[in-house]
Amino acid sequence: MPRRTSARDGGRSRPRRPQRHKDVPYRYGGHRERDFRCVGCRLDVPGQAPGTAHRNHCPHCLASLHVDDRVPGDRAASCRGRMEAFGLSVRPDGEWMLIHRCLACEELSANRIAGDDNVLALVRLALAPLRDPGVAGRVLLTL
Amino acid sequence: MSHDEHARQGGLSNTLKVDTFTCVWCGLTVSTFAAEGIRREHCPSCLHSRHVTDHVEGGPSDCGARMTPIAIAVLRTGDWRVVHRCVRCDELTSDPVCADDNQLILMRIAVRPLAQPPFPLEAFGTL
Ligand SMILES: [Zn+2]
Ligand SMILES: [Zn+2]
Ligand SMILES: [Zn+2]
Ligand SMILES: [Zn+2]
Repeated sequence: MPRRTSARDGGRSRPRRPQRHKDVPYRYGGHRERDFRCVGCRLDVPGQAPGTAHRNHCPHCLASLHVDDRVPGDRAASCRGRMEAFGLSVRPDGEWMLIHRCLACEELSANRIAGDDNVLALVRLALAPLRDPGVAGRVLLTL
Repeated sequence: MSHDEHARQGGLSNTLKVDTFTCVWCGLTVSTFAAEGIRREHCPSCLHSRHVTDHVEGGPSDCGARMTPIAIAVLRTGDWRVVHRCVRCDELTSDPVCADDNQLILMRIAVRPLAQPPFPLEAFGTL
């Protein structure tokens, strides 16, 4: 077993070498484990930000990656397709939920919006059904 | 029984009209096929549905619980889809909107996010 040289002899004279920057361990269990690059807009997204817990979608374009199976966070799906923001629903407590749809396998998932999500993208999504002249127009005529 | 099997066996369009199901929520007797010939996945009156297909694994589901309409989504083609959530197992599905679906309920679901915004919409000025 190598021993640490005592402070009295040669140990002091050796120059201190700064630690080399390690980028690998961060990806596997390090403090930046949850950082990711967006599959939609290639933005580098920090995993942690104020007002967000367990971020699972890009705050800029709202896209996500199909990694969860039935339970959010289980990371059990092998698909890894790109999931796009598909619709918005409102929980009984008033919170907006993003409905994501996988472009590869069409599976859906519901996720809470985060504190730093792009508000314009959210509002655009909320207005999407009303922009359609077909159903929206028909409904407004029958009201 | 699929639409094609029906057409093969009956050969008559009125055999489609005989095929019905009862809505688990409002009790309405509903023809399985809409006027456009597409298979209904939800009740046209209350838009509720039943969890009969497993969308994660594929094939039939043994859940069978009621599914509530929770959102309207728009495909890239512009077509509306109703997103349902199972009240028992939380699975999500989306089905196409039929022409005779209750337009008022569709619209109520579509505008719900705007009626309860998590941030002040006035900040956007004119949208
Ligand atoms: Zn993005
Ligand atoms: Zn997928
Ligand atoms: Zn019904
Ligand atoms: Zn179910």
